[in-house]
Amino acid sequence: MGSRSSHAARIPDVDSIRRETGFSQASLLRLYHRFRALDRTGKGYLSRMDLQQIEALAVNPLGDRIIDSFFPDGSLRLDFPGFVRVLAHFRPVDEEEDGNRDPKEPEPLNSRMNKLRFAFQLYDLDRDGKISRHEMLQVLRLMVGVQVTEEQLESIADRTVQEADEDGDGAVSFLEFTKSLEKMNIEQKMSIRILK
Amino acid sequence: MSHQLKNRGEEGGGTRGQARSGSLGTGDRSRRTPSMKRTRPAEKAPSRHRSQPGQKERAGGSPGSSSPRRKQAERRGRRELLGDRERGSAEKTCGGRRRKDGRASLREQRAPSKKEKEARRKEEMWKQLKKHRSSSMASSTSSGESLSEEELARILEQVEDKKKLIASMRSKPWPMARKLAELREAQEFVEKYEGALGKGRGKRLYAYRMLMAKKWVKFKRDFDNFKTQCIPWEMKIKDIESHFGSSVASYFIFLRWMYGVNLVLFGLIFGLVIIPEVLMGMPYGSIPRKTVPRAEEEKAMDFSVLWDFEGYIKYSALFYGYYNNQRTIGWLRYRLPMAYFMVGVSVFGYSLMIVIRSMASNNQGSTSEGESDNFTFSFKMFTSWDYLIGNSDTADNKYASITTSFKESIVDEQESNKEENVHLTRFLRVLANFLIICCLCGSGYLIYFVVKRSQEFSKMQNVSWYERNEVEIVMSLLGMFCPPLFETIAALENYHPRIGLKWQLGRIFALFLGNLYTFLLALMDDVHLKLSNEETIKNITHWTLFHYYNSSGWNESVPRLPLHPADVPRGSCWETAVGIEFMRLTVSDMLVTYITILLGDFLRACFVRFMNYCWCWDLEAGFPSYAEFDISGNVLGLIFNQGMIWMGSFYAPGLVGINVLRLLTSMYFQCWAVMSSNVPHERVFKASRSNNFYMGLLLLVLFLSLLPVAYTIMSLPPSFDCGPFSGKNRMYDVIQETVENDFPTFLGKIFAFLANPGLIIPAILLMFLAIYYLNSVSKSLSRANAQLRKKIQALREVEKSHKSVKGRATPRDSEDTDKGNSKNGTQLTKEGTAHHPASQSQTLDQKAQGPGASSSARKTVLLASQHLPVSRAPGVRPDSGQARPQVHPWRSTSGKRAWRPPH
Repeated sequence: MGSRSSHAARIPDVDSIRRETGFSQASLLRLYHRFRALDRTGKGYLSRMDLQQIEALAVNPLGDRIIDSFFPDGSLRLDFPGFVRVLAHFRPVDEEEDGNRDPKEPEPLNSRMNKLRFAFQLYDLDRDGKISRHEMLQVLRLMVGVQVTEEQLESIADRTVQEADEDGDGAVSFLEFTKSLEKMNIEQKMSIRILK
Repeated sequence: MSHQLKNRGEEGGGTRGQARSGSLGTGDRSRRTPSMKRTRPAEKAPSRHRSQPGQKERAGGSPGSSSPRRKQAERRGRRELLGDRERGSAEKTCGGRRRKDGRASLREQRAPSKKEKEARRKEEMWKQLKKHRSSSMASSTSSGESLSEEELARILEQVEDKKKLIASMRSKPWPMARKLAELREAQEFVEKYEGALGKGRGKRLYAYRMLMAKKWVKFKRDFDNFKTQCIPWEMKIKDIESHFGSSVASYFIFLRWMYGVNLVLFGLIFGLVIIPEVLMGMPYGSIPRKTVPRAEEEKAMDFSVLWDFEGYIKYSALFYGYYNNQRTIGWLRYRLPMAYFMVGVSVFGYSLMIVIRSMASNNQGSTSEGESDNFTFSFKMFTSWDYLIGNSDTADNKYASITTSFKESIVDEQESNKEENVHLTRFLRVLANFLIICCLCGSGYLIYFVVKRSQEFSKMQNVSWYERNEVEIVMSLLGMFCPPLFETIAALENYHPRIGLKWQLGRIFALFLGNLYTFLLALMDDVHLKLSNEETIKNITHWTLFHYYNSSGWNESVPRLPLHPADVPRGSCWETAVGIEFMRLTVSDMLVTYITILLGDFLRACFVRFMNYCWCWDLEAGFPSYAEFDISGNVLGLIFNQGMIWMGSFYAPGLVGINVLRLLTSMYFQCWAVMSSNVPHERVFKASRSNNFYMGLLLLVLFLSLLPVAYTIMSLPPSFDCGPFSGKNRMYDVIQETVENDFPTFLGKIFAFLANPGLIIPAILLMFLAIYYLNSVSKSLSRANAQLRKKIQALREVEKSHKSVKGRATPRDSEDTDKGNSKNGTQLTKEGTAHHPASQSQTLDQKAQGPGASSSARKTVLLASQHLPVSRAPGVRPDSGQARPQVHPWRSTSGKRAWRPPH
C-alpha cells in the first residue's frame, strides 16, 4: 500500500464526496482501498466482472440485481464516487444527525426512505416505480428455485401483491412498499456498522 | 483533537461516526508512527470483507449468520490487540488517545443504550463550550481530521481555563445553583480531556478505564458467541429446520429439552444414591440381598440372563433391592435410606417444576409476539435473504429455509381460505372418532389379555423366548401399527395439519396411556401376588436361619460358619421386579424405535433410491416413495418413555442412566435418519409458536406416573428383606425415623404439628383460593390483551376502509391522480392515528412543518426525488418511471385538503 494510498488527499474529489455521502474521511479512505482492491487490473473503475467476484454476492439470489444497482443507467464503469454513493445507503442512521440537519438540505442518502428506495430498486426491474406481479415472480424464482411449483409461486406472488397493494392496481408502488415494511427495522437492517 | 470534537458538535452522532476513522488514523499520524503501516493490512482485511455492498446487519437467527459474525468478532479481537500494543508503546500523543476514544465510541454505538448518554453529554458540553469560546474555533472544522498543534494547544488552554475556574469558583458572584452546575461541568471536562491530552493525574485512569470498557464489551460479545455455541445440537436442529420446517424441528427441540431434564435427574440419582452406595455401602456378596442366590449362580453371567436384567444386574446398585436398610453408611454416616426417599420425591418435584416453568415461559413468549401477521408474504419476499451469507453451503440452507417458510405460509393461507361442506365434514369427523375409539378399545383389551397370559407363563417353568416377551412385543407392535392407522383415519377429518397433529397426538396418547395403564394394572396384580406370598417366605427364612444355627448339635466347641448369603432363602422383592419390568420395557422400546427407523426409513429410502433405476414404475414419486418424519409418533414415544422413566426410577435408580444414553443416541441417530432418508412433509406447516401442547401432554403423563408411585409408597409394605426400607411398615416411615432420631425434639414436635389435619385442610383450602384468584386474574388480563389486540386490528381496518372509501369517492379522471390520492391518504392517516415508530422520518418531517402539513407529503417525496439524480449517476434514462412519483403530490394536494379525514 505504502504512503501513496494511505493519504486521503489521493482520493479525487474527497470533499464533495464527503459532503454528499456523509462518510467520514477514514471510511472514505477504507472504501477507497476496497475499491482499489476490487479493481484488479488497476483500470481506475470497476466493471461488472469485478463485482461478480465477490463471494457473498455470488451466492446471493439477488446478487445480479445488487450489482445492477451499482450501474444505474446501463453504464459499464463504476467510478469511485458512484461506488461510495451506493454504499452511502448503508451508512447507519444517526438520530442526532437527523435532528441537526438543515431542513433545506436534501435528505441524506442513508435515510430510511433512501434505504427503502434502494431495496425497492432491487425488485423493480423495469424501473417503472412499481413492483409488478411479474417482477415478483422473477424474484421468487430466484429465491426458492425449483422446489416450489409454479402454481404455488403464483399464489405467493398474488398474496404478496394483495397484502401490500392498496390502490388496487395489481402492483406494489414505492409507497405501498414502504407501508408493508413499516414494521421492519430498516434503519438497522440496512446499515453496515463499519460504514460510519 | 478539537477538530474531532467539533465534528461531534456538528454532525451530532458523528462522534460515533468517527469511530473507525480514528482507528485507521490520518496521514500525519501514520507518518509519525511507521508501525501503523505494518498493521494496516491486517486491519484492512476485515474491513474489506465487511464493506461489501448489500450486507445487512442481522441479529443472527439464521443458521448461516452466526459463523461470519464469529469471524468478525475474532478479527475485531485481533485488531484490538494490535491497538493495545500500539498504545502500550511510546505513542502517547493525542493521536493515540483519539484512537482509543474512537474505538470506544464505536463500542458505544454497539451498546447504545448505556453509553449513548455519555456521548451525548460530552457533545452538549462541547456545544456549550463552543458558545463560551467564541466562534474562532468553528472555522477549523472543515477538511482534514488531524489535530494540528494549534488545536491541541487550544484544548490545553481550555482545560487550564476550567481549572482556573474551579479554583476561583468561590469568589465568583454567581448564585449557588449556577456555581454548582458550573463546577460540576468544569470538573467533568477537566477529567475527560486532561486524560485525553496525556497530561495530569487523569491520564492513567482514563486509559485504564477505556481499556476496561473495551475489554468488557469484547468480553460480553465473546460470551454471547460462546453461549450460542454452547447450545448443543443447535446447528443440527437449524439444519433440519431449514429443510423440514419448524414442525419437525420442534420435535428435536423437545428431545433436546428432555435430554437436559434427564441429565439433571441423572445427576440427582447418581450423585445422591448410586455413587454413595457403591463407594460406602457394603460390598457385593456381603449380605443376602447383595448376592446372587445359589440357584441362579450358574447362569447369572449368561448374556440371555443379563439381557433380561436378571442375574448379576438384578443384584446390583441399579435396582432397588440391592440397597441395605442400614440407617447410615460409611464414615460420612450418609443416611442412604433417607436420601433414597428424598431423591425419589425430588425427581418428581423437579420434573413438575421444570415442566410448569417452561410452559409458563412459553406462554409469555407467545403473547409478546403474534402481531406481525399482516404482511407475512411481503416480509418473507422482501427481507428473507440474509445478506451476510458468503458461504455456498449456508446459502443452500438458506434457500431451503426460505422455501420451507414460504410453504408453511402457503399452507396456513390455504387453510384459512378453505370453504367446505360443513355437514359432510362433521359426519366424517364423527365417523373417524368412532373408528379410532374402536381401535383404542381393541388395543386396550389386547394388552390386558396378553398381560394376563404372561402372568400364567411366569408361573410355568419352560417358556419360550416369545412367551416371555409377549407383552413387550405386543405393545411395541401396537405402537408401530396403530399410529399409521390413526393417521389414515384422520385423513377423513380434513383438519389443518397443525390441528390434525394435535388430534393425532391426543389419540396416540390415549393409546399409549391405555397400554401403560393395563400394563400397570397387570403389574399391580403381580405385586399383590408377591406380597401375599411374602409372609410365608418370611417364615421360611426365619425358620431356615433358626434351624441352621440351632441344629448344630454335634460340635458345640467349634463356632459354626455363618450361613453363606447365597444360600439364605429370600422373598421375591416385588420392588426390584417392578424396576426390572420398566427397565425391559424401556430397552425394548428403544430397540423397536431404532429398528423401525432403520427398516422403515433407511432401508426403504435405500430401496427406493437404488431400485428406482430398474423398476417398472417410479418408486420415488409412486407407491413406496420416501418416508416422512412422523412427528406425532416420535413426540409421544418420547413422552411415554419419559413417563416410564418417572415411574420406574424409584424402583430402578439406574433407569435414568439408560434413558440418558437412549436420548443421546436417538438425537444423533434420528438427526441422521431424518437428513438422510426422510423427505419433508407434503404440506410443511409451521409449528405452533410454543410447544405447550407437548408440554401439556408431558405434564399429564407426569401426573399419571406420579399416581402409581405414590400409591406404592404410601400403601404397600416394602419387602422384608430387600431395599432401603426393608423392615419398615411403610416406605415413608423413614422420614419419621429421621425426624425422631436425628432432629432435635422441638423440630419433631413442629413436624407433628404440621402434619395435623387441622392445619393441612385449611392450607389446602388456602391454596385453592389462591389458585382461583390467580386464575381469574390471569383470565381478565388475557381478556384485556385480546381486546387491545382487537382494537389495534380495528384501527387498521378503519385505516384501510378510509383509503378505499377515498379511492372510490374521488373522481377517477386519471389513474395518476387516483393513485396520488390514496398515497396521500396513507400518510395522512398515519399522521392522525398510527404513530408507528417506523414512520418516524415522515412524521418528524411533518411535525417540523407544523400546520402547513399539507405540503409535508409533497416534501417527503420531493426530498426523495431530489435525491434520485444523485443516487444514480448523471445521464439516467430521462423517461424512466422514476420521475413520476414526484408528480402525484402536486396534482393531488388540492384534493387532499378537501378530504382530510376527521381524526
